[in-house]
Amino acid sequence: MIGMACAALLVHRIDTLRPPEDPNAIDESLYVNGKMARRISLGFNGLAADWYWMRSLQYVGRKIINAQDLPIDRLEQLNLKLLAPLLDTATTLDPEFIDPYEYAAIVLPAIDVNEAIRITQKGIEANPNAWRLYHHLGYIYWQQRDYRAASEMYGRGAQIEGAPPWMEAMKAKMAADGGSRATAREIYTRMYEQSTDEKVKDMAHKRLLQLDSLDQRDSLRKLFAAYQARTGKCPNSWKEIEPVLRALRIAVDASGAPLDPGGAAYVLRAGACEVELNPASEIPAK
Amino acid sequence: MESTAAITQSTTRTESRQGKLWRIAAIARNAFREAVRDRVLYNLVLFMLLLTGASIFIGELSGGQERKVIVDLGLSAMLLFGVFIAIFVGVGLVYKEIERRTIYAVFSKPVGRGEFLVGKYLGLCLTLLVNVVVMGVGVSLALLYVSRGWDSLIPTIWPAVLLIYMELMLLTATALLFSSFSSPALSALLTFMVFIIGHFSADLKSLAASMGSTSARWLFTGLYYLLPNLANYSFITPASHGRAPSLEFVFATALYAFVYIAVILAVATLVFSRRNFK
Repeated sequence: MIGMACAALLVHRIDTLRPPEDPNAIDESLYVNGKMARRISLGFNGLAADWYWMRSLQYVGRKIINAQDLPIDRLEQLNLKLLAPLLDTATTLDPEFIDPYEYAAIVLPAIDVNEAIRITQKGIEANPNAWRLYHHLGYIYWQQRDYRAASEMYGRGAQIEGAPPWMEAMKAKMAADGGSRATAREIYTRMYEQSTDEKVKDMAHKRLLQLDSLDQRDSLRKLFAAYQARTGKCPNSWKEIEPVLRALRIAVDASGAPLDPGGAAYVLRAGACEVELNPASEIPAK
Repeated sequence: MESTAAITQSTTRTESRQGKLWRIAAIARNAFREAVRDRVLYNLVLFMLLLTGASIFIGELSGGQERKVIVDLGLSAMLLFGVFIAIFVGVGLVYKEIERRTIYAVFSKPVGRGEFLVGKYLGLCLTLLVNVVVMGVGVSLALLYVSRGWDSLIPTIWPAVLLIYMELMLLTATALLFSSFSSPALSALLTFMVFIIGHFSADLKSLAASMGSTSARWLFTGLYYLLPNLANYSFITPASHGRAPSLEFVFATALYAFVYIAVILAVATLVFSRRNFK
């Protein structure tokens, strides 16, 4: 017991003496690629895939730790250069492992869209009956404003047995009106409903709130225009239009400022007929 | 008179066969008891600790994939622990008897060398069977725990457990073959190499196809068919996705294991029967 206590104390001491870890060490390239990892896994490829999957979650988790409110589809500033190789290795080790493909489709487009498309296509090749992957690939193309490709993906996914009827509807919507808010709302609603990943659900929820907020801000701008037409100037404070807001049953705070769907007060750009999100709001600005 | 002689001969043959089976069963029982006495089954405690820890903590790390991770981890640990037991206990089965000189006492009785080897082999297989069954139950319990009730993966892990057991039986026979003519250290090394190469068999085939010279192509094709194809028994990953092998596949792999084990044990018996213990 005494010996073990001494050993523990020594380990603690050595830890304090060790030079600080290189912050770039986390981004060191992977030593083995997916194919090699699969070859040397000796039948333990499933376990190795789990290891790479958990490693990719930890990798993102460690980087995101200081940016709590960042939605997982807007991680471009975090320099996640290892994420694509990690997810690629996990899916090469276990091609039927759907979650890494979904994660790649949601998180990677902000970092490396080509890798996101490649990994999701790889998932479709390995799992041609997984209609969700077509939905995710359609989502990537939709983000790239390639509505024709997105429509094609939804169409292909809709033909799979067990695919929900809304996939066919999405195909038509993408082709006819891919850039509209209604399409965006449909995509995020389906993503929220279908995903089992809490982070993806949270991201979809925030995007839906953002769409609500965009609609609200458009309504507020219309109010400003009406106010300007009536008075010849833009409002300088929310108090000036508070009665109208209340009449329209828009939730306001004590200062009369309207609240966004997340409950934060909108910021009025005085005299400019413009409304902005509160920096403290949980609604993503972009 | 002739028919009486034939009946007597047939009775003697039947009795001799029964005696043979009885002797093999006695040696197998003894080998199993010895493994238990040597605390081989203590690995189950470590396995259970590993699974319990994984069931409790893996949920936080796996992003909602705890069921898959439990199956992958549980069945991989089952294979790994089994491989260690098959190799390290398997190579010592014969060697220990020679080292302790107890083999003289065994062979002073009417026990054939083949019976001795087969008995030892079956004893270790019984130990491994207990091991994999308890581990399989452990994985099922862990799944019940993480799913808070019945889990659809529970029935699909058992065919994978059966395939793992067949792989371990093949490996045990290989360890026994090597231990019948070489030292335990070398036998362990050679068996481990067979385990590794056995999982590379698909590469051997593609290597053979890519070879330019005919002799090299023949050599690698020969190796592909000669070495045990252990990749056939890797069904852990599909099991973690809820896929079970077809009955035909299980039957074919069982038949392959049976034939391969019979050949290995026959060769081991041949080598062992020519061995001089003096």
